[in-house]
Amino acid sequence: MSGSDDVSGRRAEAVVRALRPYVAPPEEDEPPAGVASPAAPAPASAPGPGPGSGPAAGPVGEPVRRSLSVRPFLVTAGRVSDTDRLPLETQVITTTAGLDALPALTFEQHDIVAACREPLSLAELAARLHLHLNVVRVLAGDLRSAGHLTVHAPQADAAHDLSVLRRVIDGLRAVPDSRGLTRDNNRPA
Amino acid sequence: MTTTALPNPSASGAGRPPLPVKMVIAGGFGVGKTTTVASISEIEPLTTEAAITEVAAGVDDLTHTPHKTTTTVAMDFGVITLDPTLKLYLFGTPGQDRFGFMWDDLVAGALGGLVIVDTRRLDDCFAAVDYFENKGLPFAVGINVFDGNLDHDLDEVRWALDIPDSVPLVMFDARERGSVRDALLVVLELALQRAEEE
Repeated sequence: MSGSDDVSGRRAEAVVRALRPYVAPPEEDEPPAGVASPAAPAPASAPGPGPGSGPAAGPVGEPVRRSLSVRPFLVTAGRVSDTDRLPLETQVITTTAGLDALPALTFEQHDIVAACREPLSLAELAARLHLHLNVVRVLAGDLRSAGHLTVHAPQADAAHDLSVLRRVIDGLRAVPDSRGLTRDNNRPA
Repeated sequence: MTTTALPNPSASGAGRPPLPVKMVIAGGFGVGKTTTVASISEIEPLTTEAAITEVAAGVDDLTHTPHKTTTTVAMDFGVITLDPTLKLYLFGTPGQDRFGFMWDDLVAGALGGLVIVDTRRLDDCFAAVDYFENKGLPFAVGINVFDGNLDHDLDEVRWALDIPDSVPLVMFDARERGSVRDALLVVLELALQRAEEE
């Protein structure tokens, strides 16, 4: 296991292991309610028979627990994302080393490495895996340190880069509308 | 943590990823942000929605949108792959003020913003207009005319919103891909114009 030298990663894993027995697999496609930052956990996502457990969650007092009933700070072993946070659209890709290590990885780390065979943004990862965005940021940082992922931040000044803006405009003009017309042949005048 | 790639592309399973760029779709509750993203995204928009009865009953104003049963409590977003090297992400802002802490995250590095307004509730969009103005983000205001009713003319709306002439005001249909595309193009052309002037 090539990531075993990553002390912080291992610590996070140990905490996750201890927690997981309390967590039901997210079978239903119900969206997570955990939208709070680690500093301010949402009351609705707290474990327990709160209003966030849903109207069809079964008898009162026996809420269906979902993966996000684990507080985000537990999954990250108390760490929060660093100050220069990676943008939401940052692309994450699994390395071949990451694929090799996949059988040895567990839980969230396994899920992230498995999902990123194709480039994914941090936002897509968070949504697909039903994880809080900042949890994904921390774990992706761990996995990158271990060499399991590469992380490609967007070009910082893209908004002021004329060539990027022109490429986006040209690309968008070529997007057909529902009748198959692009912007360029849509305009008679 | 640095934000550059690990200097070993040969170790990567997939090579160089596409350049991601993003735009922000903002506006008040129930104006059609999610619909807008869904119309043009090539993926089913990834949305974290919870039924409004669960999380926000009595908090959100449903007076004017009585048939709306869900609202976006986190971010929802879509993707358009413009070419193999360029991906445009569209992020919808959280529908309620209490998720305002997420806005900085959404707006950092964005090419521009589209503020969607419903002319029945113009004041709902003021927060977004103010925010984009303060951030200096190029933005346009889009009037969603999905029900075909525009009760006011554009000049009246512009006056009511108190936005300067430099902010484009467009009518569009959030359900129609071509219409959403054209509204986004208005924003991008403004962004290009601004970048050229810099």
